[in-house]
Amino acid sequence: MIKETYLKYIFLTLSIIIILIIFFFPFFWIITSSFKSPEEIIATSTTIIPRSFTLEHYEKILFNSDFFTYLINSLIVSFFSMFISIILSVSAAYGLHKLKFYGNKFVEYSLLVTYAFPGVILLIPIYLLFAKIYLLNTYIALIIVNVLFATPFAVWMLKAFFKLIPTEIEEAAYIDGASRIIVIFKIIIPLAAPGIASIAIFCFIISWTEYLFASILISTDSLKTLPVGLSAIVGQYQIDWGFLLSGAVLASLPVILLFLFIGKYFVSGLTEGAVK
Amino acid sequence: MNKILLFIISILFSFNALAVTNVTFWHMEGVPHRVDRIQTLIDEFNSANPDINVTQEVQNWGEIYAKAPASVAAGTAPEILVGIPDFTPILAEMGAAQPVEDFVAELDSKYGFYQKALDQYTYNGHTWAVPLWNMALSVWYRKSDFEKAGISPPKTWSDLKKAAKTLTKDGVYGIGLPGNKQLYTDQTIYSFMVNSGAEEIYNSDGTLRFDNPETVAAYDVYKELYQYSAPDAANWTWGEAEACFASKGCAMILQFTVISTYDSQAGGDADDLGVIQIPYANGKAHRAGTVSYVNSAMIMTEDPAKMEASKKFLSYLMEPGNYGRFINMEPGLFLPITEAGSKDSTYWDDPVVVKYKSQVETMLDNSTRGSLFGFTNGNTFTSISSISAQNLLAQTLQLTLIDGKSPSDAVTEGMEIMSEAIE
Amino acid sequence: MKKNNIEGWLFVSPLLIWISLIIIIPIYIAFELSFFNVKIIGTSGKFIGIDNYFKLIKSTKFINASINSFYWIIGNAICQTFFAFTIALTINYRFPGKKIMANWIILSFIIPTVVVVVIWKLMLSSSSGIVNSLLINLGILDNATGFFSTPNKAFVSLVLINSWRWSPFLALIILSGLNSINREIYDASKVDGANFIQQFIHITIPNLKNVLFVLGLVGTLLSFNIFDIIWLITKGGPSNATTTLPLLIYETAFTKFRISQAATLSIITSFLLLIFSLFFIKFMAPKEND
Repeated sequence: MIKETYLKYIFLTLSIIIILIIFFFPFFWIITSSFKSPEEIIATSTTIIPRSFTLEHYEKILFNSDFFTYLINSLIVSFFSMFISIILSVSAAYGLHKLKFYGNKFVEYSLLVTYAFPGVILLIPIYLLFAKIYLLNTYIALIIVNVLFATPFAVWMLKAFFKLIPTEIEEAAYIDGASRIIVIFKIIIPLAAPGIASIAIFCFIISWTEYLFASILISTDSLKTLPVGLSAIVGQYQIDWGFLLSGAVLASLPVILLFLFIGKYFVSGLTEGAVK
Repeated sequence: MNKILLFIISILFSFNALAVTNVTFWHMEGVPHRVDRIQTLIDEFNSANPDINVTQEVQNWGEIYAKAPASVAAGTAPEILVGIPDFTPILAEMGAAQPVEDFVAELDSKYGFYQKALDQYTYNGHTWAVPLWNMALSVWYRKSDFEKAGISPPKTWSDLKKAAKTLTKDGVYGIGLPGNKQLYTDQTIYSFMVNSGAEEIYNSDGTLRFDNPETVAAYDVYKELYQYSAPDAANWTWGEAEACFASKGCAMILQFTVISTYDSQAGGDADDLGVIQIPYANGKAHRAGTVSYVNSAMIMTEDPAKMEASKKFLSYLMEPGNYGRFINMEPGLFLPITEAGSKDSTYWDDPVVVKYKSQVETMLDNSTRGSLFGFTNGNTFTSISSISAQNLLAQTLQLTLIDGKSPSDAVTEGMEIMSEAIE
Repeated sequence: MKKNNIEGWLFVSPLLIWISLIIIIPIYIAFELSFFNVKIIGTSGKFIGIDNYFKLIKSTKFINASINSFYWIIGNAICQTFFAFTIALTINYRFPGKKIMANWIILSFIIPTVVVVVIWKLMLSSSSGIVNSLLINLGILDNATGFFSTPNKAFVSLVLINSWRWSPFLALIILSGLNSINREIYDASKVDGANFIQQFIHITIPNLKNVLFVLGLVGTLLSFNIFDIIWLITKGGPSNATTTLPLLIYETAFTKFRISQAATLSIITSFLLLIFSLFFIKFMAPKEND
């Protein structure tokens, strides 16, 4: 028994170290590198602790590029994609897991199978379709696509939370004469709040990181999202690593900030909400 | 009553006078200072021509091959699209790029295009784009490295092999050559093919003549030199090669330019930076040349007013006084494509160009001997797009560098792949 | 429980309509294109029936890409399962800093793909990358290696990078499953003398079957679909070793300019994935007691 605890302790320490190195160290290195001088970044003798410190890369990206335009576009697109995804997935999850209807298993699985159609396949037909209905170069185009990619999984993520809500509470409310709408807004949504927070963040991230469609459906500079804008400001024939690294850090910063405030709901919502 | 009528008429007329022709200008030069420079020129043009409104929209090289045809199909194409030769045949075949030989002839009589500039855009009886600037590969090195090693800059392939071998030492790769299936590798391998006399990919009847002893010789020397290249060269594009050179990890590289990186990230000692033309196969000095990419503008509108406005804008860019500033959006990278342009003082006045004047002169000189696979001596067929867009020269190279086939087997197999691609 | 057919459908329909419109129309367009020989998008072609299908199924490119895709799915499944369980089981324990690790482990999932690519291109560079210099300093390597220089190395590197991106997210989903397992079961098994590994096999895994089913299905489909990471790092090379089916489709459409063939490949691919999903659901779906 003692031997097993001891072994477990070694395993735990080992895996903590591995996780730190693989999943955290790259961020440390990238962030510190973005403050290094250009010479030090490309030097053949690589440094872990920076020897130089400069803000030039950040100055360049903040003051010489359309970074803030891209940022605002990404925020708008991600926010609305998230908002619409929440409404659609909460509604669908309620129908699927609270109401039950003929064919609900089929619908549940079909939703997951949506991912069987690779984005690459949909790319050009969607471009042609959106051109016909004048949706190219609009936020709406990106929102439509992001919702498509985010919702199927979001509905499944909500399942566990909806199942936790005791049917008795709902039934009691109906007996008291509450309407379905009131039950949804007064009982279901508050009780499933941690789950909804989780899917909100999930949808936000999916939209925030989307690249392929954003690069094809948008051609105007003033509407580009951060990932696309970031890859456009890198020249074809030269790589300014410092510029690229500071851009990478800045492009991640907004989601990291968002996460700083609501991240704990995401993680605890995901991991603790589902306790039976 | 009459007054009111007059007023209405005058308003109508003023609307008419204000009718503005919109021109959208797509290009792939997204680095912020390049965008700024183009915007400056556009602003000047727009204020001098109140009836025209040019706007620029920056695209990515990564997706433009998907996006431009899709935009034509959807009717959302720009009026002007900047591109490279590989790309024009596609848009010409789609009927999107308009023939511009008359316009180009007019510009030619004024500014004098370099003779080889138009080769890359003239086929099927028309000229399909207006050449804007040139880019050509050269060999870059540090003079001090050569002095220390006691060798002189290579002229022939055997000089080059010797230099690469001598310069390879602890932590330094003698020559940085890419092995990626990418445009950069197409360019580097073709620059060797040119110098061994394998410039032509097609016969004059449109069949391929890629599989020949000169091509094999080029692949052979490339393979030999590749052993002195960095281990991750199989995944290199231009930027990695340049970084390798700037950090002194590579003694020599083949590159369009290293000037701005060298200047900002490698100390910037202009006297130490050497540039020479690509070495030629032994005994083939008369073949000396390089690969060059003439970047150009396609006019994609059939509307007469828009076409006129587009031509006016392009003429404006080509005019000395504007032209130097235009291509100096990235000083030391883009080279003049016209005689007049290469004398334009706004080109030579740029501080970077002043500092690296001798290097820029060599680059410019090399570029006038540049050619591009599939666009040589009039033997041009639109199917070349399939070969270049799929980077089949580079793919053939990978057959020998990575799969270990002999250069001659690789070239034979490469030609089979190409034949299938151009069907 | 009683069924609410009409209301149930009413609540699901907004999402269903949204998704079907955006999928069915494009798939129909692709299906139609697959019977023609259109080369460049927007030009016209000749009707050639099912020739494209015959030609492509036999082509070495398609077969190679299918094999690559197969290895890609298997490789990612193994790597991601390993990483995700390591993370989930670790975070499930109490240790100093656990909260911080749990909250921030997701970092690699929330950053844009473009950033992932930048990070790993620089980290793995042979001239100025930290990984090479660490491995050399630790004495594991003598000389810097090119992580994308040979077909095998490039493939493995990409699998690892993609797993790096996805594992933390999967770990959190697994963690939610772990948390729903009643701790008393573990305590009871301990009394019976079960060790850590036996507990894992007999309690943890069976109780996670719901979660694992969905991750198995969606995870497979999603990792099959990965395009941007591969395209931005290796473009399918070297020697086509990392050309999976999505890359082949993109290449066929946009660098080879054979849009009809690309459409055909898309239809074949979707068909294969649908068949996979049906079988997976039929044989792996957990029986639910409601």
